[in-house]
Amino acid sequence: MRDMETVEMAAIAMNEQRKDLFQKFAALASLLALTVVFSLVSTSFFSVGNALTVALQVTSIAYLGIGAACVIITGGIDLSVGAILALAGVVDAMAVRAGAPVSVGILAGLAVGLTCGLINGLCVTVLRLPPFIATLGMMLVARGVALEITNAKAIGGLGERFAELGNGSLWKVARIGDDGFPDVIFPGIPYPVLIMVVLAVAVAILLNRTTLGRHIYAVGSNSEAARLSGVNVRGVTNFAYILSGTLAGLTGCVLMSRLVTAQPSEGLMYELDAIAAAVIGGTSLSGGVGTISGTVIGAFVIGILRNGLNMGGVSAFIQQIIIGLVILLTVWIDQMRHRR
Amino acid sequence: MQAQSARSAERRSHQEGPAVSQAVRPLLRLRGISKKFQSVAALQDVDFDLNSGEVHAVCGENGAGKSTLMKIISGELQPDAGQISLRGASIQFKSTRDAQQAGIAMIHQELNLVPHLSVAENMFLAREPQRFGFIDRKKINAASVQWLQRLGLDVDPKATVRTLSVAQRQMVEIAKALSLSAAVLIMDEPTSSLTESETTTLFTVVKDLKRAGVGIVYISHRLNELPGIADRVTVLRDGRRVSTADFAGTTIDDIVVQMVGRALDAKYPPPTRVPNGQVLMQVAGLTRAGIFRDINFDLRRGEILGFAGLVGAGRTEVARAIFGADRIDAGTIRIDGKPLRARSPRDAIRRGIAYLSEDRKAHGLAIDMAVAHNVSIANLAALSTRFGFIRLRDEESAARRYIEVLGIRTPSARQLVRLLSGGNQQKVVVAKWLFRDSRILFFDEPTRGIDVGAKYAIYRLLDELAARGIGVVLISSELPEILGMTDRVAVFRNGRITRVLETRCTSQEEIMRFASGTHEFAEAHAGHGDR
Repeated sequence: MRDMETVEMAAIAMNEQRKDLFQKFAALASLLALTVVFSLVSTSFFSVGNALTVALQVTSIAYLGIGAACVIITGGIDLSVGAILALAGVVDAMAVRAGAPVSVGILAGLAVGLTCGLINGLCVTVLRLPPFIATLGMMLVARGVALEITNAKAIGGLGERFAELGNGSLWKVARIGDDGFPDVIFPGIPYPVLIMVVLAVAVAILLNRTTLGRHIYAVGSNSEAARLSGVNVRGVTNFAYILSGTLAGLTGCVLMSRLVTAQPSEGLMYELDAIAAAVIGGTSLSGGVGTISGTVIGAFVIGILRNGLNMGGVSAFIQQIIIGLVILLTVWIDQMRHRR
Repeated sequence: MQAQSARSAERRSHQEGPAVSQAVRPLLRLRGISKKFQSVAALQDVDFDLNSGEVHAVCGENGAGKSTLMKIISGELQPDAGQISLRGASIQFKSTRDAQQAGIAMIHQELNLVPHLSVAENMFLAREPQRFGFIDRKKINAASVQWLQRLGLDVDPKATVRTLSVAQRQMVEIAKALSLSAAVLIMDEPTSSLTESETTTLFTVVKDLKRAGVGIVYISHRLNELPGIADRVTVLRDGRRVSTADFAGTTIDDIVVQMVGRALDAKYPPPTRVPNGQVLMQVAGLTRAGIFRDINFDLRRGEILGFAGLVGAGRTEVARAIFGADRIDAGTIRIDGKPLRARSPRDAIRRGIAYLSEDRKAHGLAIDMAVAHNVSIANLAALSTRFGFIRLRDEESAARRYIEVLGIRTPSARQLVRLLSGGNQQKVVVAKWLFRDSRILFFDEPTRGIDVGAKYAIYRLLDELAARGIGVVLISSELPEILGMTDRVAVFRNGRITRVLETRCTSQEEIMRFASGTHEFAEAHAGHGDR
């Protein structure tokens, strides 16, 4: 009798694991399917050049998505990352324009992101504001500050060194050709892509292998049980918002460097892309569930959809409709998975 | 007059039970009511009569089936078997709305008011008088005032319910039920949050209602308030009706005996623990304003100390406060003679205290996480490298060890806790605290919602833990469990410990008296008989 029960339970567990696998696989499969479809439709889609373009475009969503995933796993939400990236980017650019070395500018940008994240965290943990409201406020404030300090004007003329972070790459192999122009043999790995890989691996290890990561899941899964188990719930929650804010600061620095101009209106609605990436990747908005691998896949799904639809000549409006439907579909699948 | 004759009829047929009391047709008549919840019988073959103009008290321990019976009368639950008739006509309620329309109203123990609406809006919720499709505010405000005044309640009907005190809300709830002009009124612990004078006012109203011919079912744990108003009393135990009698011919002691009078059988393992009398934790003068005050007790190494008392007497609150989960206003806690100042559970856990909540799912477990992760969560530092990396292999083997030791039925340590049975989930919580090397364990209702076999396993576990020298506090509302499992028992009443008793030398009746305050009543009325 009892053994039958255990066998039954094991069967249920297998079933659960299969469902989880299906969920992960579903995101990955849709990613592959998209790639195949777009390759068939457009000959120039499947090329090293375009792959790099997509990877570069995805980096912003991926950085923000990784932060968003951590916040959402704790059961929160961060709406302010788009605005924080704009503020961090313009602070970075203004510092460089004022004569500071580029590295100092970047550090200033990261510090801005970290501070905004800390304020978000304190609003949630100390003032006990709902995360939606706390970060909505930060979204408006950060955007307003970015527009105010720049008079809503773009900052240009930042120089080559400023552009290095966003446009440079590692292991680029080029030879000076006979005509005197450089001849690119291997385009190298762009720094933004490199950063994305390092970040994804680092945060994945943080979540899966460290005490802090385990506490992040525990807080999102049941914050009262976590508190009664001795977890520093406030500290863990703060950390998630600080991480998200700092990554937004990084995104701002990289993005503005790539464009070699700092736009205070940059990054509008990016927070929604970030949340969408996390959710498509299987992160549950009720907290406790989510992975970095899924989130990066989610970012690529959005990036490839955009890129492929662009190359296919689909209008920006139709793109919006399609991405909206994709989000609805994936979250619906997620709901089905949790309904039992 | 009618009530008089009903009573004498009842008295005559008292010996045979109410089934044959046909002298007066009862207002409400229940026959053979049974109700199961997931194969657990909450009510079995219960008969119950209510005459118009009488107050019929229903007594029983927590879980005896009182609430289930009331929910069936008020249409909230449907019985699996049995018949209900109102004024001789057989009825079947599909919802509380049906019951209300038939003239049955219930005053809930837990308050069912909408906090953001006004008093009047609450009283007329879902039956608002309309005027041109809008709510007729004047009408509901005027009508509410009448009922509120009758209860002597000086509250503006336009006031938001949220701004009222708990006692005022209780009175509004009562006013709401009265405004339904019901023929049958069910009162579930109506006085539990009322002051003395409010209770007196309520009883005056109850007597008015009786005179008007309303039949009232009255549930209260405060047995000593029954003599003032009850005409008859029915005692339930384990989902069965034990007796129905005229109140005039019975005593509170009789009722208590009938409530708890189940023989102790071998549901509890023989103790292997040997308390050595060494004091592990000393609590003195512990107070939290408005919740509990002046709590004093010692916990000894290797003993099981029971916390007995009624729901809401402050047992859970004291445990949570010692654990650092809630604030303490005054008093000291010493562990091995050294003071403990826990500002958060983290501090208490570091000193070896653990609290196992009565609500496992809400406070004890992350049910969407693996068994291993739940076991390790309170002690991850012990499994981690200097840089905070968890040694996953050690984690898994630790989890396996406790799965083995506690006999947790799970296919693997990676199984999600959600998929385990209630008893096994409880063991996972225990594993968490054993792995943390806790020396003081508070178990809050550890066997609630657990089947009999699993209960025995938990009891064995409690004994084994104590035998290892751990100090165990068992908070339980089941008196047999307290008597079967503890060495000493602290009885709580209204936020105080009324007495600490040696379990060997006490009885359910004695504990019940200290828990319900009837010992004071008996002492105060000594010489005037027991009533």
